[in-house]
Amino acid sequence: MEQHFEIQPIHPEPTSFVRRYIFSTDHKVIAKQFLWAGLIFLLVGGTLAMMIRWQWAYPGEKVPVLGDLFLRRSGGVIGPATYTSIFTMHGLIMIFFAITPAMIGAFGNFCIPLMIGARDMAFPKLNMLSFWTFVVSLLLIIASFLVRLGSAGAGWTTYPPLSTQIGTPGWGQTLVVAAIFVTGAATIMGSINYVTTVLRLRAPGMTYLRMPLTVWGLWLTAILNVLFVPVLGAAALLLFLDRVFGTQFFIAGAASVRGGGDPILFQHLFWIFGHPEVYILILPAWGIVGDLISFFARKPAYWYKGTVFAMTAVTILSAVVYGHHMFVTGMNPLLGKSFMLLTLIISVPAEMLFLNWLHTIWKGSIRLTTAMLFGLGMVFVFGLGGLTGLYLGTISTDLYLHDTMWVVGHFHFTMAAASFLATFGAIYFWFPKMFGRNMSEGLGKIHFWFSVVFITLVFGGQLFVGYAGQQRRLYDPYQYTFLAHLHFPNKLTSWFGFMLGIGQVPFIINFFKSLFAGSKAEQNPWQVGTLEWTLCPSPPPHHNFDKIPTVLRGPHEYANPEVRKALGRDWIGQAEELPAVAGTAVAEKSGA
Amino acid sequence: MGDIINYRSRRSHEETTAYVGMVIFLGSWAMLFAGLFFVYGAVRLRAPVWPPPGQGPLPVALPAINTLVLALSSAAMQAGLTLLRRGHTRALAPFLGTTAILGMVFLGLQTVVWSRVAKAGLKPASGPYASAFYGLTWFHALHVGVGLIALLWLSFRAVQGAYSLPRHQSVRLWTMYWHFVGVVWGVMFLTVYVI
Repeated sequence: MEQHFEIQPIHPEPTSFVRRYIFSTDHKVIAKQFLWAGLIFLLVGGTLAMMIRWQWAYPGEKVPVLGDLFLRRSGGVIGPATYTSIFTMHGLIMIFFAITPAMIGAFGNFCIPLMIGARDMAFPKLNMLSFWTFVVSLLLIIASFLVRLGSAGAGWTTYPPLSTQIGTPGWGQTLVVAAIFVTGAATIMGSINYVTTVLRLRAPGMTYLRMPLTVWGLWLTAILNVLFVPVLGAAALLLFLDRVFGTQFFIAGAASVRGGGDPILFQHLFWIFGHPEVYILILPAWGIVGDLISFFARKPAYWYKGTVFAMTAVTILSAVVYGHHMFVTGMNPLLGKSFMLLTLIISVPAEMLFLNWLHTIWKGSIRLTTAMLFGLGMVFVFGLGGLTGLYLGTISTDLYLHDTMWVVGHFHFTMAAASFLATFGAIYFWFPKMFGRNMSEGLGKIHFWFSVVFITLVFGGQLFVGYAGQQRRLYDPYQYTFLAHLHFPNKLTSWFGFMLGIGQVPFIINFFKSLFAGSKAEQNPWQVGTLEWTLCPSPPPHHNFDKIPTVLRGPHEYANPEVRKALGRDWIGQAEELPAVAGTAVAEKSGA
Repeated sequence: MGDIINYRSRRSHEETTAYVGMVIFLGSWAMLFAGLFFVYGAVRLRAPVWPPPGQGPLPVALPAINTLVLALSSAAMQAGLTLLRRGHTRALAPFLGTTAILGMVFLGLQTVVWSRVAKAGLKPASGPYASAFYGLTWFHALHVGVGLIALLWLSFRAVQGAYSLPRHQSVRLWTMYWHFVGVVWGVMFLTVYVI
């Protein structure tokens, strides 16, 4: 192990512009590329969300500004077919092209090598290929908006028969199905890299139980990606064949010949992937927030091993609960009950995580930085998301709530609100390290309060009308008399939504202002002990570490009286040797 | 002297890392094929009779020969790799060439099977039976094609003498890939053609 630093060579930094910034193999550059792509598509997905909310507030009325820009052919009004495209693409873009790149792509690439003490990913070229494959899928998505009949319109879940040529004709849906396959390939490449890097390139002394929780979350996510994204690939591939070559894997009934295939089969494949996917999107968030809370409560993460164990347990359980998405498909009741039981068991490790976070905050000397606020905000909205999920995991209540806005509110609280708040927390936290400049805390806090308040109100509004019986995806819910009285709460929710959209403006200003004119960041502005802050300048050099460190302790060494005695501060780096102060260790212990 | 020791340990560390990555990739890709076989099984269990009335059984003789061809090609590649590791550097190129030729024979025979089946009236759009046959074999053939391109490149490099006992990482990894494609074919032959 002593030769470890020799095992990872220092490669010379490339000098040409193209090799440095475009076709770069440097994990830090690729991380920024993913961050840019993710934030741009977050804006696209967010704009689509605003249009959906407009339709629910003022159905059939001309959309201000956006209508003149994008809907000129229909006079600025959202037509029924356009509407289905909008909500379909909102979902797909947010999940596959906004959260995935911004959280997993950007922070997976940035944090994993830096936090485990590696010079780069295990396969830097594969890493580059992963990003550029991802770009191909982005181009397919953009192309789908430009073809005749418009983009995909079968919902983000892409269920047949609606997603077959019979339900959604035209090349738009086909291109989107192809894009899902291609982005899946990109994800798999990235994930092979993450899994291998953690297995092989941890610095000496960086045992699994000394890894920051961020790395744990990203690593478990990568494992789930490697196992289950290919299943989505199989579903997308067969759907593509159905659409292009007329095969009949998922077509049944009058449209089929000789018995036909089975549309429910697609749902099985989709949710075998799809349920792990929701944990794919939340595990990194849990990890990041677990670290942030400990960093800014200036206390060791409470029961770190328990948190790791709980996250691992959720990872394993996530693979065996997918059936709860399909309770109403005529599933064998015994099978349904099994899925319900397994689903509800997940709340046990989830509860462990929660209690550990709360215990970490308890009696901590909390520093309410923007990053910490976003971490706490994530805990809050994820709590709401988790609690509302219990009603959907239970068959008896799911039968009523299935396919209502309650479902929409629930998964937005978990996947959208929690994942994005954690991602924003991560951006505020690692921005100084990524770009070498500080972000404005003032603007960040405005952004936080707008985000957390209106996220809660918007998705709370969805839960409210869902519980009252409003189905999801309706073009004009109020044409049904039993939903007409829900127009007012929907309109109110829409305005909360617009406020949420406006609340992102401070972030955009802050991001660009800090990028170009922010104050120069110190090496360790947050006074934390993980390797990237204690050993690398901001931003880190091409090879990350001049000498691969030898890790001596876990990531959350705060408020240790021994450290305070020896160093005069409340934190110590993971690879920092504690100077011996004779006799203090024993004296402190007995004195305390 | 110390530099040489470090150099060698760095190499072997990188090789193990690449090996681990390849295992993870093949495991991941196996999940994709598992998904396809899952669909095949479900479609087939759903059908009251298989093959559906009016659609004859698929040819078995040619695919059986093809199974043999692919098994031989895998064996040839493994033999080349094993000989290389025993120091017979020059044995690699002919074995890789044999593997590539057998791979091409496989694709040729598979094309014959496709055209015969199509002539007998089974088109991709003729129902789930045809879907399963064409969908699975097409996707597998695509993997054979990718493997062939790699094999041709490896053979070319082997003729140039690029691989030696300490340097043959890409041959090793592509051998793993080729075995994987062969095993998938074995399962496909048994499920789609035989039973």
